[in-house]
Amino acid sequence: MRRFVLPLGLALAVTVPSLGLAHDPALHPPTKVEGPADDYVYELAAPGSYDLPRIRPAAAARLLDESGAAVELSALFAGRLTILAFMYTRCGDVCPLAALRLADLQRLAAEDAQLSQHLRIVSLSFDPAFDTPAIMAEYGAMMRLPDAAAPPWHFLTAPDRAAIGPVLAAYNQPVARKADPGDAAGPFSHLLRVFLIDSDGVIRNIYSADFLDPRLLMNDLKTLQMEAP
Amino acid sequence: MTQQFAARKSHSSRCKNRLPAVLVAAGTALAPSLAWADETCQSPYMAKITGEEEYVYIWTLGMEGVGDGSDKVVTVDVRSGSPTFGKVVDVDSVGGRHEAHHGGLTDDRRLFWVSGLDDSKIFIFDIASDPANPTLVKTIDDFVEKSGGVVGPHGAYALPGRVLISGLSNTDKTGATGLVEYTNDGQYIATHWMPTAKEPNGAANAEKADGYGYDARVLPRRNVMLSSSFTGWNNYMRPLGEVVNDPEAMKAFGGTMVLWDFHARKPRQVFEVPGVPLEVRWAWGPKSNYAFTSTALTSQIWLVYEDEAQKWHAKSVATIGDPAQLPLPVDISLSADDSTLFVNSFMDGMTRVYDVSDPHAPEQIYEKKIGSQVNMVSQSWDGRRLYYTSSLLANWDKTGDDNEQFLKAYTWDGKELAPRFEIDFLAEELGRPHLMRFGSSALYNY
Repeated sequence: MRRFVLPLGLALAVTVPSLGLAHDPALHPPTKVEGPADDYVYELAAPGSYDLPRIRPAAAARLLDESGAAVELSALFAGRLTILAFMYTRCGDVCPLAALRLADLQRLAAEDAQLSQHLRIVSLSFDPAFDTPAIMAEYGAMMRLPDAAAPPWHFLTAPDRAAIGPVLAAYNQPVARKADPGDAAGPFSHLLRVFLIDSDGVIRNIYSADFLDPRLLMNDLKTLQMEAP
Repeated sequence: MTQQFAARKSHSSRCKNRLPAVLVAAGTALAPSLAWADETCQSPYMAKITGEEEYVYIWTLGMEGVGDGSDKVVTVDVRSGSPTFGKVVDVDSVGGRHEAHHGGLTDDRRLFWVSGLDDSKIFIFDIASDPANPTLVKTIDDFVEKSGGVVGPHGAYALPGRVLISGLSNTDKTGATGLVEYTNDGQYIATHWMPTAKEPNGAANAEKADGYGYDARVLPRRNVMLSSSFTGWNNYMRPLGEVVNDPEAMKAFGGTMVLWDFHARKPRQVFEVPGVPLEVRWAWGPKSNYAFTSTALTSQIWLVYEDEAQKWHAKSVATIGDPAQLPLPVDISLSADDSTLFVNSFMDGMTRVYDVSDPHAPEQIYEKKIGSQVNMVSQSWDGRRLYYTSSLLANWDKTGDDNEQFLKAYTWDGKELAPRFEIDFLAEELGRPHLMRFGSSALYNY
């Protein structure tokens, strides 16, 4: 049976968030996070001080959840803000780092009840041949914050490559097979793409690695919350 | 041959430029890995080719009496060993002349956006389905209306899932303009107007802001975007000889650059860069917080850089040729290792190569006359192959025997350019070649 093996660096990094069994502000000081925004020239713009234009409707897709049950991606968007990240568990470069950023986002959001209850995080694999629902469940169990106050974090995959191909095209997610499938960093080359989707299912921002900072994501999420209904 | 995507933490921008022809006569991350091989002046958000480029796509101005006279995308096979190496393998006319000029690839490199400066039409080509045979899949003919009055769509710069189009003009046909965002497949998203003295939009030193636009490129890891400035429709569509003999028209050129908070899309600082700063080229090094530009009318290389106190400055760091002779610097191309800057000047047809290892003190190390006129230059990521095209603008190109129109390919060994092949765009009845982009079939193998 194949098992997901967590890279050592990521294994060490996820140890800390995994120890938090319940969110108790008295016991846990506010989360301190690091990220690309530490290197920005300007302070992050305050929530509501900038616009997040409607980019395009987020495409629907028939996927599999961690139990192997069918799930409609667009159904997850309804009524919540969503952070959707494309990834694969065999990735040895940007995916683990992105997962850590999202874990930090989940911790930050857990401290903001008003936001947390309206937020959902989704990680979607484009490597269904390896990333079975069981693998995704194992990966998710290591990454998720076991805190009832935290927003839900789903780890989805597709039945097969034929099913994920149109999803990648619909989201303009570049992925290519490497010439060396045994590459230590994983068999795929890809550009990190993470999507902010509003409760109407419309994409409102698209993040590359340089903008996947939990604090920036929080500001964008709060900016959407501040919009008039 | 291998190809790869590389989301780069550092990065740079693109290459192009243009200006007069008769000027002289008239008087005026988390990023993972480095990817080797690809043009160096692209968006950092774009997929990279890690082997040799296979095709060069050339956005070509139609020319009356030459072939069908229409603007077209010309595809040239540059695969070493191919029986059609160095030959035109596909021509896709869009019908009519629109002042074909610039464009760009989407971040996934599946679509090639090209635009017309005259009527503001945008043409989107699919280059992924068959990289040797681009196909026109969409025409945008309501850019001015959708953008709220931006005229003259210029470059198409890849952002994640989007393209950023820098305008050159407005419905008054003057130079105040804006930046316009579209989805990759051509749906309008938003317009960001350039700051002006009257509407600074929060920018420092905005009393100097002139509102002109030209190029706009992003340094993601610092969350900054840098834009430059040219002129409006009234000037770029007018015969150059008339422009330079009209003192009022000569006042209507840009002399500023703007540093933006990219995430918020807010202008933050205006720099005075006299003489029309055109192409913006961010350095690629992970700690290289600077960009180069060249000024067309004052013939200078300018450096926009961050100091140790995280303050940003712009200063002239080198002179290009003899400014008194108005060589008219147009396109520039920075090597992937940030060591070498190629600078084309239109009027003398020269390419000059500068050692920019110290960006504050460029030193010219080589020069070569490419033709009677030269404009664009694109280089491979490994810096070994360079491509040059000849045209600036339809009304600004030289005339008579000096109106050479070509694609010329060279190899570069660090010391000199050696000819590889060339295509005469007049003999081939194609027109005036301008913007170039590279393609490869190996990008699309998921």
